[in-house]
Amino acid sequence: MVRIYVIDNGGQWTHREWRTLRDIDVDTKIVPNTSSLNEIVKDNIDGLVLSGGAPRIGLSSKLGNCAEYLEKADFPILGICAGHQFMARFFGGEVKISKIPEFGKIELTLFNEDDPLFEGVPRESIVWESHNDEVSVLPKEFELLAESESCKIQAMRHKEKPFYGLQFHPEVEHTEYGEQIFKNFVNICII
Amino acid sequence: MFDAEKFIEKSIAKLAKEIKGKALIAFSGGVDSTVCATLVNKAIGDRLLTVHVDTGYMRKNESLNVKKLMKQLGLNYRLIDASKEFYNSLKDVEDPEIKRKIIGERFIRLFEKAADEENIEYLVQGTIAPDWIESGDNLRDTIKSHHNVGGLPEEMKVKLIEPLRDLYKDEVRKVARALKLPVSERQPFPGPGLAIRIIGEATPERTEVVREACYIVENEIENAVEKKLMEKPWQYFAILIPIKTVGVHGDQRAYGYTIAIRAVQSIDAMTCAYSNIPHSVLDNISTKITNVLGKKINRIVYDVTNKPPSTVEWE
Repeated sequence: MVRIYVIDNGGQWTHREWRTLRDIDVDTKIVPNTSSLNEIVKDNIDGLVLSGGAPRIGLSSKLGNCAEYLEKADFPILGICAGHQFMARFFGGEVKISKIPEFGKIELTLFNEDDPLFEGVPRESIVWESHNDEVSVLPKEFELLAESESCKIQAMRHKEKPFYGLQFHPEVEHTEYGEQIFKNFVNICII
Repeated sequence: MFDAEKFIEKSIAKLAKEIKGKALIAFSGGVDSTVCATLVNKAIGDRLLTVHVDTGYMRKNESLNVKKLMKQLGLNYRLIDASKEFYNSLKDVEDPEIKRKIIGERFIRLFEKAADEENIEYLVQGTIAPDWIESGDNLRDTIKSHHNVGGLPEEMKVKLIEPLRDLYKDEVRKVARALKLPVSERQPFPGPGLAIRIIGEATPERTEVVREACYIVENEIENAVEKKLMEKPWQYFAILIPIKTVGVHGDQRAYGYTIAIRAVQSIDAMTCAYSNIPHSVLDNISTKITNVLGKKINRIVYDVTNKPPSTVEWE
């Protein structure tokens, strides 16, 4: 059984990430973001999800021990919302307060339909959002994967490492291909 | 996938082991507390006392129906009519968070009193995952205090047991179906009840108005669902907005409050889309409410926001 933990950054939907993984037969657990990497890797995990959270990454630069995970991990990491913003900032990108914050239903447009994270997801689909900040400058080592009308960096991936960041929320029911995206992430973790 | 039968078996065994003496369950008659009461009843039998509180903020005929349900399930029960007490404690209170906290505290004190009288050490609550997620903790921002979590006073004499803590509503419904409970498909109803469906002060008079409006919305939507005119919403109800607007009644000027209709689709209330109610159904609801509550209500609006950015209930 593939094992993926969810790092809890205090998001309203952390539990949904846990549930979506559990529903697709992943061995999963919610872990506080104060855990050290050693505490987490001793369980032989195959991947990590960094949840969203109330901390304004656009305004503050710390998110528990997420920096340590991003620095040392040799397994796939999926950052969602605040997790995604922190990932961008950690690798030298910039995060700022959104000119137009997005809440609820938004149309997502993919740039790279061949990316393994978006296998089976059409070029345009409905996703749900809930953010006040956003990534404004993509880190150099990252490739842009998707955008929406009001937010140009909706999805990104590291060019060498299996690290992904998503501004939208694949874990909520109303995101059309949310479960598919999680299944794809599981596949990335198995390889 | 979630296995209801396995969950039932495991929970009963765990509860039987965990609860040494007597326990009390706060019973609203909704899916969560009915599932909880049934599981605990199977685990410890009559050592469970089921308590239902009529807060005065219940829906039409609700406490009467809850009494019937407790009898039907063979529970050892007690019904407390505390409506006067609740109305009094919410006098002049307008802030939604304060309303929720006062109601939560009142509930607990009533349960503690009953527990004291019967030497009960455990309090069982039907808390489910979104309740404690939205109530916030050290890490999470408080969106709303759910009466059964954030509304709990810091000092409590009884030990808390929450058998459904990790489940979502759709999973609780699966358990309810497996237990063959008659309430398995009932729509959720918040603990603070109609008090949070009245914007501003929840006076007894306003409560009567919103109670009738909720009743009409429920009936009309259930009829429409039965006739296959629309999909059954996750939740559907009315809100009283105490803002007066001008109307005309039989050539005379009317000046009354507004009722908002709310209906949403969801599987777990973590995200919701507003329901697609056909205009003919909205029309029926509007006409009925304004006819029945004519003197008090002369305007009806439909809430077309999703969650996020809004929440299901208005307060």
